[in-house]
Amino acid sequence: MESESETRMIVIAPTSDVTPDRVVRFVHSLGRPLTIKETCYGAMVEGSKEDVRAALKEVRKLDPNGIYSKIRGFPIGDTRRCRAHHGSRPGFTQLEKEWKDLSLVEKGLSAVERGEKATEPKKKGRIPVSKLKDIVDEVKK
Amino acid sequence: MKVFIVPPNSLILYDLVERFGHEPLSVMKAIRERVTDLEIDSPPLNVTPEDVKKGLKYAGVEVPSGIRGRLAIWGPLIDQAEAAIMMEDPPYSFGCVGCHRTNEMVKYLLRKKGIPILEVPYPEDEEGAKRMVSKIKEFLEGLR
Repeated sequence: MESESETRMIVIAPTSDVTPDRVVRFVHSLGRPLTIKETCYGAMVEGSKEDVRAALKEVRKLDPNGIYSKIRGFPIGDTRRCRAHHGSRPGFTQLEKEWKDLSLVEKGLSAVERGEKATEPKKKGRIPVSKLKDIVDEVKK
Repeated sequence: MKVFIVPPNSLILYDLVERFGHEPLSVMKAIRERVTDLEIDSPPLNVTPEDVKKGLKYAGVEVPSGIRGRLAIWGPLIDQAEAAIMMEDPPYSFGCVGCHRTNEMVKYLLRKKGIPILEVPYPEDEEGAKRMVSKIKEFLEGLR
């Protein structure tokens, strides 16, 4: 394995119209020397850093706020992780949770693009003394 | 700038940091260096006595081995960090990010470093996500 190689997970938000199949076909059509694997959440792409990053830049154009990516430590099909070889996949539950929440992040990114300002949550104030007295009186009864 | 993310394997933070033009410091990159090294001294994950020594730089010998082991990988990344984004109370707390003591130690090391730090809560609803994204964008744009 060359040191400059990179494996990337391309994760599609659940609200996106893009499918993993479309991403895989799209990456193939770029004609770059990359290894691509379709997954339930999107795809994994592996190759030289330059090729992977160039492909990712193009893939993001399919749905800029609906496609997310992070690098992966283990190469595609690594026997220590690949399920086909009974490898363990300890990080999947976290990925699954974050994948579900990508729809929220997508809305956040779109709102920021539109210049919308998020409302600050109401701070919980202290109970006024008069109200506390009423509660005490109510309990005393 | 190099931005350390907490949790160090978060997809959301990794993507947002990269999206807004910075380099995320993640545990995946550190792991890759270990698992793809041609000379695997200690299979399957190539944890060597050197890593154990590295961990001692960040936590004392009396600290549990799990914390030292994690810090052996995360510590050198903290050393490189020029800024940090910490996500508070992520709903997942297992696996490599499941050790609360390590997480506390990481926060302490980052604060001790005196670099710009942003703390954002994990988004639970749409408004929370909007707040998180706008704060992260503002923070990262301010780093330039």
